[in-house]
Amino acid sequence: MLNIQNLHAGINGKKILKGINLSVNPGELHAIMGRNGSGKSTLANIITGRDSYEVMEGSVSFNGINLLDMSPEERALSGIFMSFQYPVVIPGVNNTYFLRAALNAKLKHNNLNELNAVDFMRLIREKLKLVKMDEKYLSRAVNDGFSGGEKKRNEILQMLTLEPTFSILDETDSGLDIDALKIVADGVNNFRTNKRSFLAITHYQRLLEYMKPDFIHVLIDGQIVKSGDKSLALELEEKGYSWLEK
Amino acid sequence: MNYLNQQFNSLLNYWPDEDKNIRSLRSNAFNQFNESGFPTKKWEEWQFTNFSKFKNNQFRLSSADDLPSIPKSIPGLIPNLDFIFIINGHYQSQLSSSPSGVRVSTHLEDYNTDQNIYTLESKQNPFQSLNVAMMNSGVSIHIDPNQIIEKPIQVIYLMTELSEPLMNHPRFHYHLGENSQATIIEHYIGISDQPYFVNSVSHATIGVNASFNHIRIQEETKSANHIASTHYQLDTDARLKSTHFSMGAELFRHDIKLSFNGNGGEAMLNGLCLTENQQHHDQNVTVDHQNDSCHSHQLFKYILGDKSSGVFNGKVIVRGKTKLTDADQSNKNLLLSPAALMNANPQLEIYSEDVKCSHGSTTGQIDPEALFYMRSRGLSQQKATELIIGGFAKEILEPILDENISKTMNQKIHQWLMGVQKDG
Repeated sequence: MLNIQNLHAGINGKKILKGINLSVNPGELHAIMGRNGSGKSTLANIITGRDSYEVMEGSVSFNGINLLDMSPEERALSGIFMSFQYPVVIPGVNNTYFLRAALNAKLKHNNLNELNAVDFMRLIREKLKLVKMDEKYLSRAVNDGFSGGEKKRNEILQMLTLEPTFSILDETDSGLDIDALKIVADGVNNFRTNKRSFLAITHYQRLLEYMKPDFIHVLIDGQIVKSGDKSLALELEEKGYSWLEK
Repeated sequence: MNYLNQQFNSLLNYWPDEDKNIRSLRSNAFNQFNESGFPTKKWEEWQFTNFSKFKNNQFRLSSADDLPSIPKSIPGLIPNLDFIFIINGHYQSQLSSSPSGVRVSTHLEDYNTDQNIYTLESKQNPFQSLNVAMMNSGVSIHIDPNQIIEKPIQVIYLMTELSEPLMNHPRFHYHLGENSQATIIEHYIGISDQPYFVNSVSHATIGVNASFNHIRIQEETKSANHIASTHYQLDTDARLKSTHFSMGAELFRHDIKLSFNGNGGEAMLNGLCLTENQQHHDQNVTVDHQNDSCHSHQLFKYILGDKSSGVFNGKVIVRGKTKLTDADQSNKNLLLSPAALMNANPQLEIYSEDVKCSHGSTTGQIDPEALFYMRSRGLSQQKATELIIGGFAKEILEPILDENISKTMNQKIHQWLMGVQKDG
């Protein structure tokens, strides 16, 4: 599904990723672990197409199509989603209106009928229950006045509504208490199928206790230095990252 | 300024039978105007607005010959409201509705009772003097005491089918009696290829415990010059909610002055300026707290595209010995283009200790993080930009409770956004 080959990339001329190779197949959940500054978020930004990042070498393809030539919205419409580490507040833009506009953009792209306000409300109420969010959040501006945990749940709500095939969870566990973490993890777990793939980016193995990863990759200084199954996470928890550093 | 002398004389000849008192009022005002002339860059309150291009124009006062054929449908009409229609300065009473509890008179009919209003005109503002000298149109609207006027009244001031560059100096006087309530929309619209000049002055006197909702919409054609003053006077426990939209005219200057003449007044002054191309919008707001327990809230937003420019000068004065004043003033500006320019100068002058005051001004561009966030959800760059700008404008629309008005304004903002994005 997602295929990254020899990816070198960075920002402002500074190289951060130094030869990443990663292949994610349908149905798989991969976790990328590493310290701050190891390049985890850069990888997420390259996949989603954030403007300021540049690719110096290598390729990223999604279902066989070169992703790097596509705009962020084209990537989103073709099935890529990212739960942001820091969801953005958009004053004055109603959360419901925004989410319906996003869903309708996707439906239109797939030549499906767009949802009217009534049908959308029916759909969103179902999704809200899955992340245990109160309906009052629907009438607020996007992420405006949301606590850290509410913002993360709102990200998962968007994921459940837009139904992407490839989802990046960028530090989705950060800033969450244990109850919120469980809700978010349940949201993701119930969303997993053999067609949907995930890339979970995290510092800690805590999140991975709740979402079972198929593969774990350790990122140090822009390179994947070790890959393994979920036992690698436990090993990291015990020994830290330093034993993997050169 | 020779043409103004000529125009002034022709105005005197046009109305030879005018009341002697009005005559002398006009002459005094015109002398005052001639002494000062138009503002220059050296005048502190006017320093960011350039009148050199404006001064090269020669405008003729509108006369009876300038009454065009009446359009089949009146432009700008907001559905389900009462309305007053003035075309090229000529009041069309036969086309206007007359709601009960409301008396509408044409300009100067009430000269004797309104006399003190004219003396309020400021020597600092030559356009106000020019307006008094040449006042030639407008209406007075009287709301009787205890009358609750549910239906908003829309005053449409249309400039259209001009044969040459015309000017008008309208005056609008609003009198709200004790305990009365009304909503008035003062709506300027232009449909003309000719440049023209509207120099308007509005006065609202809001009686004891009365409530006035004033919405001003300036939608002149892009080649027009619109200079205006609005003066609000609030009596004891009076309430004002005012919203000022401006999107038209090449040159726009609006002086807004608010005085609390009694205790317990409450005022909201909001504004939204939308500018593009070479438009220049300058607003100068003074709120004078000279009595106790008065609250004022200001929020002025500008969205500036292309090479347009904006000026916001806001001043809150809290006089000595006043108690329990609560005043805030906020100015927020969004620049859509690197060539757009904003000058903001919020000021507080506080001579009392018992106050709660705040002020601030921010100017920025569209948040690239917000843009990326929305695009990462599948919205096009255009749609995302539109939503962000619309969200920025929304704060001004929200206090407008009448659905017909807020819907109309929402559509106008949306249309403007589509236009400014297409050009960009």
